[in-house]
Amino acid sequence: MQNHDEIPVEPETESTAFNMDFEADDDWSNYKDSDVMQQQSAIFEQDAAKFPFVGDKEPLSSLEAEYESGSPILLQKIKVLGKEFGAIRRTRGDGNCFFRSFMFSYLEHILESQDQAEVERVKTNVEKCRKTLQDLGYADFTFEDFFSLFLEQLESVLQGNDASISHDELVLRSRDQSVSDYVVMFFRFVTSGEIRKRSEFFEPFILGLSNTTVEQFCKTSVEPMGEESDHVHITALCDALGVAIRVVYLDRSSCDKDGGVSVNHHDFVPTPSDGATAGTVCDLDLFGWVQTAKQEGE
Amino acid sequence: MDNQSTEERQRHHPSPSKQPKASPVPVDTNSVTQRLQKELMALMMSGDLGVSAFPKSESIFTWIGLIEGGKGTMYEGLTYKLSSQFPLDYPFKPPQVKFETMCFHPNIDQFGNICLDILQDKWSAAYDCRTILLSIQSLLGEPNIESPLNSSAASLWSNQEEKWYTNSMLLEKHVRADTKTQGLLS
Repeated sequence: MQNHDEIPVEPETESTAFNMDFEADDDWSNYKDSDVMQQQSAIFEQDAAKFPFVGDKEPLSSLEAEYESGSPILLQKIKVLGKEFGAIRRTRGDGNCFFRSFMFSYLEHILESQDQAEVERVKTNVEKCRKTLQDLGYADFTFEDFFSLFLEQLESVLQGNDASISHDELVLRSRDQSVSDYVVMFFRFVTSGEIRKRSEFFEPFILGLSNTTVEQFCKTSVEPMGEESDHVHITALCDALGVAIRVVYLDRSSCDKDGGVSVNHHDFVPTPSDGATAGTVCDLDLFGWVQTAKQEGE
Repeated sequence: MDNQSTEERQRHHPSPSKQPKASPVPVDTNSVTQRLQKELMALMMSGDLGVSAFPKSESIFTWIGLIEGGKGTMYEGLTYKLSSQFPLDYPFKPPQVKFETMCFHPNIDQFGNICLDILQDKWSAAYDCRTILLSIQSLLGEPNIESPLNSSAASLWSNQEEKWYTNSMLLEKHVRADTKTQGLLS
């Protein structure tokens, strides 16, 4: 199908499913789910070797160079972005990119601001999320490892204790699968718990997205790794943790404002539920918007 | 978390030969072992009827499970043996679960492979051995005819349900007709 190289492969060579050549008249029933999954993970591993979860800082001009022969409106928008943002970081497009970029941006913000009160506030919300999952009937052992690993990262970016880490170390950890995947799963659990807790609120949005029940949506589109995030996910995570998020869209839509080009963005501002940390959330200055530049596919 | 020390003492080291295929990234097998021990404990304490499992040997990465067919299904009164192989990057990847006993079912093939989304692309860390076994148990009674691994079982299943299927379709047509009339009247 996607095989450009015409490498003849003997049917016996099963060592790497990835190299298997599918002939037109081949019976697809010969290929089991496990073969397909093996091939898929082989493809992911190849991509992984090419690009880290979180990239280095790049000037916006590198983005500009990429779109040089593309739509002029994109180039104009990149110029506008350049006035607001000094640099960009790319994330690997493996379906977890929103969570990975949120992890990095948020922890980087704490590391730079050393905002103890914010850490305490988020920790309180994390405990509420834990309670939510317990109330929903999740077994503790399914999520506790992910929770403790996130709390560990949160503590470590605060300076002045034995476990404190530098900015360089934060970058390394964000690229380390054994840290990043755990934090992604932590966010997925938090997101799922929030959606299920407020299922009445989320139901119409979910129906519009996937025509499934709230529970089914959480099980198939939130909790599994690699499932992409949509507005529903971002809203839920933002509300659960009480952290504001800005998503900037780099698309071809023309959004002229007073004759000039502007880049459309969506601000997710937490709406505190249960009066949980309402007071503090309102006091929260809209810091560290997560700068997730969503690039258009084509 | 509190009884970490106890668990550490009880920790079993899997012999290297029995370990599943090595993952490309170094993983903390310690935490996988701990999680599997907690899953085992939860499964044993749950008192669920009709599902059980236990590590096969000294390695906690291979389990043998038993599933009894659900009451009121065609599988009632039958017990099936399954094997479950947990990968080193569990719970990020699902365990490989197979029927060791032959099972005639639309979603189970002659080799015991199971077609169930939560064991494939819809797997998540929110599942555990207990929920997997319960899902397989309910799959026995409620096969997914759309994606059969055993097509003859699937067609037999469909034929057996044909009568019921026609009846329910007639009923649905009546309901639809009713709503239409009401819509016209209001």
